[in-house]
Amino acid sequence: MNYQIKSTMFGEQIIRLNDNGSLSHIPKKQDNTDYQAYLKWLAEGNTPEPADE
Amino acid sequence: MALTQVDQGLLSSTAQYTGFKNRIINGAMVIDQRNAGASVTPTTDNTYTLDRWTAKLSQASKYSVQQSSTVPAGFKNSLLITSLSAYTVGSSESFFTKQVIEGLNVFDLGWGAAGASTVTLSFWVRSSLTGTFGGSLWNNAADRSYPYSYTISVANTWEQKSITIAGDTSGTWLTTNGGGINVGFAFGVGASLSTTAGAWASGFYPSSTGATSVVGTNGATFYITGVQLEKGSTATSFDYRSYGTELALCQRYFEKWEASEGSGEVAMLGQAISTTLVVAGPFFYKVTKRTTSPTITYSSNSHFNFTTATNSGNPTGTLDSSIANANSARLLGTAGSALLVAGNACCITANTASAYIEISGPEL
Repeated sequence: MNYQIKSTMFGEQIIRLNDNGSLSHIPKKQDNTDYQAYLKWLAEGNTPEPADE
Repeated sequence: MALTQVDQGLLSSTAQYTGFKNRIINGAMVIDQRNAGASVTPTTDNTYTLDRWTAKLSQASKYSVQQSSTVPAGFKNSLLITSLSAYTVGSSESFFTKQVIEGLNVFDLGWGAAGASTVTLSFWVRSSLTGTFGGSLWNNAADRSYPYSYTISVANTWEQKSITIAGDTSGTWLTTNGGGINVGFAFGVGASLSTTAGAWASGFYPSSTGATSVVGTNGATFYITGVQLEKGSTATSFDYRSYGTELALCQRYFEKWEASEGSGEVAMLGQAISTTLVVAGPFFYKVTKRTTSPTITYSSNSHFNFTTATNSGNPTGTLDSSIANANSARLLGTAGSALLVAGNACCITANTASAYIEISGPEL
């Protein structure tokens, strides 16, 4: 599992690259548990992958 | 016949009542949208397993979780924990499963103030181990806990347990769409996270002192079902709800669109705005979500096609981004080949029965 930041016409997206090959688009909202997990992951010193494009 | 007299007992707060008696959702373990009955071995803390149930862990891969058909009479499914090693739990480590009841579903209990209502937790349990087991109720801030204990007397035999808990008159108990009451069942909690059963304590204690560690015995099993938390001091009969009702209750927190019938199923409609880009939506959810901004997960970028003007040679593409609210999402698709016509409508269809779209994030 990893994360990627991507810019789109809808703005900057946080994408979680799941182990099973699926992709999760996570909004930057504090009440979203996936965003909370992303912030925790960042706080642990991790860095998102660069965007593909 | 006119109704001339109503038994006052039926109107009292402790009388049996209909409606949302059981504050636990999926207490009978019948809904498993994420894994459809497959066994999972959680490697990260807060892994969601059966609907509304979360796997908590301090070390990866010490146990598996699976929806089981081993049940007591009157039930169809249970939640099975299987220990995958003989792990010695550290003092500050914990392994348990929990459900967080939304505050909006327990506001009437009045916890955190004088007059807090008594509740009763009941459940069926079975284990390959015997002895004293533990669990706990705690608040969202994890600074108020009520550890409880119960005994499993006979191995590999279903037993029903009931624990009555005087409502907490202290602490902060959310009555919003946040976490109201955490209900946990422990199968390995260290000494520093355990305390005396049967009393409210300040702090986070997911189990009671001396409880059996299931993860401490390789191959040990622990089943649970029929979990009910209800107002009052008596465990009443399990609150069976229709499958559709239970599924809808779960979908407030998580739902899954599946192309289960095969390829060609339309996931959503949109408009091509260039030869490669499609703005699609609204992708309506089946149930309004707990929060306004859910996560959208696509099974794979290769699982979806974009229809061309002639519906032939439809390219695959990526579903790159979304703007979602509590009811629907807008999606941006990017076709892998420049075969679309700007201004045309475009169907985004599954090209495999493995395609799915999950709406998550509102889970507690």
